[in-house]
Amino acid sequence: MRLRAGLRVASMLVVVASAAEARAQTLPSEPIALADGRVTVGADVSATFGSRDPGFFNYTDYEHSALRLLRIDVSAAAKAGPHFTLLVEVRSENVDTLEAYALYARIRPWTGRDLDIQVGRIPPTFGAFARRAYPNDNPLIGYPLAYQYLTSLRPDALPASADELLQKRSLGWLVRYSVGAPGADRGVALVSAFRWDTGVQVHTKAGIVSATAAVTAGTVSNPRVSDDNGGRQLAGRLEVRPVSGLIAGASLARGSFVSDAAARSAVGDAATGESFAQTAWGADLEYSHAYYLVRLETIGSAWRVPTIRRPAIDEPLRAMSTSVEGRYKIVPGLYAAARLEHLGFSDLVGSTLTVPWDAPVTRVEVGTGYSIQRNLLLKVSYQHNSRDGGVLQRVEHVGAGQLVFWF
Amino acid sequence: MKETPRTQGALFLTFAAFVSFAVIQASNQLAAARNGVIRGRVEVRRVVPQVERRPSVTDLGAPPARDVDDRLRSVVYLESAPRRAFDVDEGGHRVMDQRNETFVPHLLAIMTGTTVDFPNSDKFYHNVFSLSKPARFDLGRYSAGHSRSIRFDRPGIVRVFCDIHSHMSAFILVFGHPYFAVTDSQGRYHIDNVPPGNYGVIAWNEGNASDPKPVTVPDGGAAELDFALR
Repeated sequence: MRLRAGLRVASMLVVVASAAEARAQTLPSEPIALADGRVTVGADVSATFGSRDPGFFNYTDYEHSALRLLRIDVSAAAKAGPHFTLLVEVRSENVDTLEAYALYARIRPWTGRDLDIQVGRIPPTFGAFARRAYPNDNPLIGYPLAYQYLTSLRPDALPASADELLQKRSLGWLVRYSVGAPGADRGVALVSAFRWDTGVQVHTKAGIVSATAAVTAGTVSNPRVSDDNGGRQLAGRLEVRPVSGLIAGASLARGSFVSDAAARSAVGDAATGESFAQTAWGADLEYSHAYYLVRLETIGSAWRVPTIRRPAIDEPLRAMSTSVEGRYKIVPGLYAAARLEHLGFSDLVGSTLTVPWDAPVTRVEVGTGYSIQRNLLLKVSYQHNSRDGGVLQRVEHVGAGQLVFWF
Repeated sequence: MKETPRTQGALFLTFAAFVSFAVIQASNQLAAARNGVIRGRVEVRRVVPQVERRPSVTDLGAPPARDVDDRLRSVVYLESAPRRAFDVDEGGHRVMDQRNETFVPHLLAIMTGTTVDFPNSDKFYHNVFSLSKPARFDLGRYSAGHSRSIRFDRPGIVRVFCDIHSHMSAFILVFGHPYFAVTDSQGRYHIDNVPPGNYGVIAWNEGNASDPKPVTVPDGGAAELDFALR
């Protein structure tokens, strides 16, 4: 099934690439404006094809790899006066799903003040990468581990003991537990770059400082359209731009993680998922000047899950990711980029051993991008992944190519 | 008569002297001719709308306001020019500012050899670049109060963009001769110092060029030529 999907993506890549080259100068290069510019429509299309990934390092669920993906994003903004804008983004992955990735209203109560209220399926408040996860904004092909790598933790199914969780190390792409939802499904990343949360967000800016706060239905690792546990997530971000080119940000989020159904299965009918929260914090730094750009981001997360059987998971399950990314423009239209990152997990005491609750991962990705035209970019990258533990392949080399078109 | 090397040499010298005389006479006549003017008006019937921002779906707030490009201005130029015109190397500097996320002016017409300065008058970074064949360059990111420059040595149309703000764009038209003019806000133009003769004249606006229109520039006089684009 995966082979067939791979072939389908490959054939699409070939078609898109040849069509793009043939029509390189005739493709639209600017957003489509309607109704005197009150409605604008843009798009991001990327076709990615990577070599096999038997270690499931780049999978975003059992069937989808971030390195074998045809992604089409169509976004639109409709302005209704100076106070109100409706924004929507529809996304298709491998042409088999179509989802409203974003759908929200932006309200600016006072035109003279930098204060906006956004309501609906809103952009992520937390972290730096999730808002630039478009292939056009990502200098490499792979996603940072914190935003993509699937841990073995699920919000709707729970391990009954530390031993059960330890048995699932490295299996986050398809994991099954004895408590809660019975089927196998994917785990969660520390922060999801593939779904947006639903709620209300307030953003303001004063001089070099900007601040954002949001209340949403899900959590950073499990954004949701509708709530499944009665608890809300509170998230905040503070960003400072002291000099040109330097952006320093700090983020904090806390929200109920475990679904009510899973909590009830774990600790009885009176339980709700509200008390089993994810707490995440992040710090990021970006500096750019002339032809180079450097980004540093570190994210920590702790999930509290119900204690069911011994050996119990009585401490929050912690994970921490750090990534350093750089890009350098070599000549006009050509750049080189690299990212080095590590994702680690806290130790968990099982019956026979004490090890990190999921297998730590280290990834190095190097790549290059060449602009065929301003809005048509060809990227090539190489990844070296290594995992310290787990039942799957521990070391893997992956190559990938990506064609990106946007307007 | 049998030609000897000496007679061949004499014939060649005579021919060379005749040609030199003819060239000198012709150039004297040309110098004596007084240059003229081509003037007129370009009517842009459908103004190309300003490039809108891409839908800012990922932004945490509304983007700042920006200025509006002046897209009414056009360039009028001679399709071909006297050979001597191409010997001119203007040099000098012109300025294309970056202000309120807009290139000012939006349209610049220059001669080869001209250096264009791109100062940044905004409080944030800009990154001017072009992937156009006549001038492929990237000036990198630089902050307010700083400027970068690029010399244009090849004629052609250069599209200029900002790598950070995708809605910023401008045109620089680089000519190998000096016979061109940018219209004013009313669409009027005049091309000065055009040697008398017959020419084809083209009007250009936002990538749309007219067919060449024939015009005769009289000795020391003016030729009127209007255009309607789109």
